[in-house]
Amino acid sequence: MNQPRRKSKPRSAVRFSARDFRLLRAQARRDPEKFAATVPVVTLDDWVSAKITSGDPYSLRWGKNTPPKIAFQLEYDTEVALYIACDPDVLNVYAQALRRCWSSFGIRRGDRVVIFDYGTSPVSYLASCSFTPYLARGAADILGCLPICNDGAANLSQRAVEIVKFVCPRVLFLRTDCLHPFATEFNKGSTPLSSYVGALVAVENEGVLAAADRDAYQKNLGVPIYRLLRADAALFLAPECARCGLFHIWPDLYHVELSEQGKHGREGQLLITNWFAEHCQAVRYLSQVQAVLERPGCPAKATDPRIGI
Amino acid sequence: MTEPGRLVSRDMDRWPAARLQRYQLRRLKKILHYGSSELPFYRERFAKADFDPRTIKTLADFARVPSFAKKEVLDALHRKKTFDVGLERLNRAESGALCMTSGTLGTSFLYLPKRWASIRGDSLARAYRWAGLRRGMRMLMAAPAWHSLAVQETRVIQRLGATCVIPWGTFLPRYARHFLDAIIDVKPSFVTIFLPMLYALLGECRIRDLNPARAFETVDSILVVGAPMTPLARLNLRQQLGVKDIFEGLGNPEGLTAMECPHHIGHHIFLDCCYVEIVDPATGQLLPDGQRGNVVITSLIPHGSVYIRYDTEDLGAILTQRCACRRTWPLMEVYDRRANVLQIGGQQLVPYDIRSCLDELPELVNIPFAVVRSASKMERLTLLIQKPPSGNLKEIGVRMATLLRKRFNLEVLEEWAEELPQRWKGVTIIEEKDWRGMRV
Repeated sequence: MNQPRRKSKPRSAVRFSARDFRLLRAQARRDPEKFAATVPVVTLDDWVSAKITSGDPYSLRWGKNTPPKIAFQLEYDTEVALYIACDPDVLNVYAQALRRCWSSFGIRRGDRVVIFDYGTSPVSYLASCSFTPYLARGAADILGCLPICNDGAANLSQRAVEIVKFVCPRVLFLRTDCLHPFATEFNKGSTPLSSYVGALVAVENEGVLAAADRDAYQKNLGVPIYRLLRADAALFLAPECARCGLFHIWPDLYHVELSEQGKHGREGQLLITNWFAEHCQAVRYLSQVQAVLERPGCPAKATDPRIGI
Repeated sequence: MTEPGRLVSRDMDRWPAARLQRYQLRRLKKILHYGSSELPFYRERFAKADFDPRTIKTLADFARVPSFAKKEVLDALHRKKTFDVGLERLNRAESGALCMTSGTLGTSFLYLPKRWASIRGDSLARAYRWAGLRRGMRMLMAAPAWHSLAVQETRVIQRLGATCVIPWGTFLPRYARHFLDAIIDVKPSFVTIFLPMLYALLGECRIRDLNPARAFETVDSILVVGAPMTPLARLNLRQQLGVKDIFEGLGNPEGLTAMECPHHIGHHIFLDCCYVEIVDPATGQLLPDGQRGNVVITSLIPHGSVYIRYDTEDLGAILTQRCACRRTWPLMEVYDRRANVLQIGGQQLVPYDIRSCLDELPELVNIPFAVVRSASKMERLTLLIQKPPSGNLKEIGVRMATLLRKRFNLEVLEEWAEELPQRWKGVTIIEEKDWRGMRV
């Protein structure tokens, strides 16, 4: 969700794109403690400062000499707007991450998927090569599904309900802040939602729907509701597992840690390192997500690291 | 020379009229054959109307094909309770997406597979080239994913090798803050935008006490869609924004593409993708060039949702002028939705006509207004106008009344308002009963 507008003092700009990814990755695997001790944490404030001091819209994160093929303005209520810059390679791996999320929610070939979120949310723009320039294959293209989007504005709930009724998707992805208006609108009719939709996935940037709220909506709407965690500044996606109820992390794409207060099994802020966005680096990005690191061992995928939120 | 992925050659817009007609007839016959053999919607309609597509031998014959409007699509949607109403043949082996129409008349669905996007996008790329978009240039892409323009622009950007920035949110005016940030930060040289959003950006500049020309200093060209722009409105926008040129595009997801070239005389109909007829709404007969009537379109793309003789319920005309660019694709204009036509003082007007007139008063250029429409016979024009930032309202009112009397022989009753109701798609008709309700 939107974070409070922050005030940043301009500091001397740090280039965030110059690090050797292979070295960092090897270090994070071989000696995670040393990685944590030697690699500085980066925050939204740092990127805001870098943008202000350098005038570079990409906060000195873009690591190529040529301009990025595509840039997305991010959903953060920071002092200045932030962007991620992508080349086709990054976009395509990012779409693979979304594809994994889709698979984990049970989406299969031939399914239809409705997305009640803005076109500028990765849940939308990574869904199909039809929506995004330079994306070779979106999640729907890879899986062989048919996607449809609706702007994620709460007042478009009526249209979202119409789409759901006519498209009958396997899964409806919707912004957490659209869940209430959608439920209100849908409940004006008498047919149960389960007649149209297999499951709902509530999506939020750097936050998740509270478990208690999820349970209440699940009861109210009569369909399973899963959660999908986004951290757009780090090009990060993590789905809630239907089997274990925790959020799975893919170690080939991301490395996660917790901030200091999260040591010794306690809750802390999630630190994310993205391993595929070499030219728009997010290394030890301090997100706003409060999480607990859990041991691998899910019956669905035993080796995946997991976090509880 | 024909390029891979393109249906036609690049110089098709300069073919002689006879060659264009032969081309269109050939494509129309193909699409009719496809519709009648593959698409249940047309099979049923043609059988019901006892119409045999094989009897179409000339372009004039094509007017015998039964037309249909949005209501019939919506009826089919509600009858079948599914988005695939038989206007499309779903191909599960091909990537694609569903899009929606924007819903002025109700929401319907369009199936847009990759081949549709390639053909329509490659066609549209021609217009973006006319407007100045070139390889390596940076473009602000404003269309949201649910809209078919996003699907087409995705192809255009790749085809032309442009780079792009996508602002957060959607094209509703309330997201103007994000759009303006993106323009200032990323400095695109080409912007595509919906006209109401462009006005919202000017409003956002006012809020920030920022000269719009400063904000748009890197922008060479703007391509606007979504609402008609009068010549004076364009001139004023160009001056305010300090851009080299502003182009206007017409189109709908069902098939119409008509875009301006740098001469701005009208919109060239993209004959590689669509066939356009102007039809008398009362008789259904074809109208000659220059006369206003219902715009009926046929998509020439045999993929995805196929619309054959679809009455868009837009009021438009094929223009009689030839364009100075010497392109042979005919010019057209769309003035408004048919539902917005005003019967007033014995004549038919649309808000575009009023807008053109108001734009002649410098204080009222681009100032939002709405016509309050009465359910009974209208003898005079009632206008609700947003107060302009400067000028004496009484004096402006007198000049406006004189102008409207001279142009349309109409009396006017004006009412000034601080703000008009939020109408994001530039709707300029308020029904009198609603207006009265709002004031209570």
